[in-house]
Amino acid sequence: MEKVQVSDSELVTLYIHGNEKAFEKLVQRHKSRIYTTIYLIVKDQYVAEDLLQDTFIKAVDTIKGGRYNDEGKFLPWIIRIAHNLAIDYFRRDKRYPNVVFEDGSSVFNTLDFAEDSVESVQIRQETHEQLREMIQRLPDVQKQVLIMRHYEDMSFQEIADATGVSINTALGRMRYALINLRKQFNQRAPQYDKNFYLR
Amino acid sequence: MTKTFTYDDVIRYLYSETTEKENYLIVEALALDDDLMNFYLDSLEIKNQMNKVVCNPAEQTVLKVLRYSQQFATSIPAALSF
Repeated sequence: MEKVQVSDSELVTLYIHGNEKAFEKLVQRHKSRIYTTIYLIVKDQYVAEDLLQDTFIKAVDTIKGGRYNDEGKFLPWIIRIAHNLAIDYFRRDKRYPNVVFEDGSSVFNTLDFAEDSVESVQIRQETHEQLREMIQRLPDVQKQVLIMRHYEDMSFQEIADATGVSINTALGRMRYALINLRKQFNQRAPQYDKNFYLR
Repeated sequence: MTKTFTYDDVIRYLYSETTEKENYLIVEALALDDDLMNFYLDSLEIKNQMNKVVCNPAEQTVLKVLRYSQQFATSIPAALSF
């Protein structure tokens, strides 16, 4: 039997009327995407956990405070909150964040992947960890556009407006980000799963 | 007039920001231009890889959020008593 997916808008409406289960559903549905977005910006698991909490607290305050303006765009709205909090973190601390490396019990033990495949978990994990590292090494403006477009699901026009550049500049930055990631992949060729690159 | 498609147009296509008419023309352009096609395939691979990079927060963090929400609801009547 086909499972009916309740929309975010419907869940928010239920939540406004006091249904805590609806909020739990929203959290479970979007926590990974929001957390990934924050983590890619701040690069620190513990800061990302705190900011995720702050993000949802702001959302709760806004929704329960009757200030949520539902335009059917809950995810873009809450991801913008997360993005702004992550950027504020940098401005407030005026420092480059610490990178928390794998020590067997910290950062990477909370990582999971969107789907399973026949490749070994080990190879996939290494590949995706490398990709995260590669994203971190991009020049800031390229990383910003990449995260905004790919993980925050903003359109290129929205990114252009938010960052004060033309849409062509935003597209150009995205192009260089993709080219740079590809270059880094090629340089690390022996370390990643070649099955991803059969050409 | 024939439109010449650029790498930026391919990126817009990759992220579904092109019109239906453009889609048709871009597919044609990709078929005729190896460099454009290679760029598209490379970018598509990276995009697919990025989709698989998902970090999960600790369960404790999620529980704190849910608890905050539940307490928010109960704190309103208390505030009204002042």
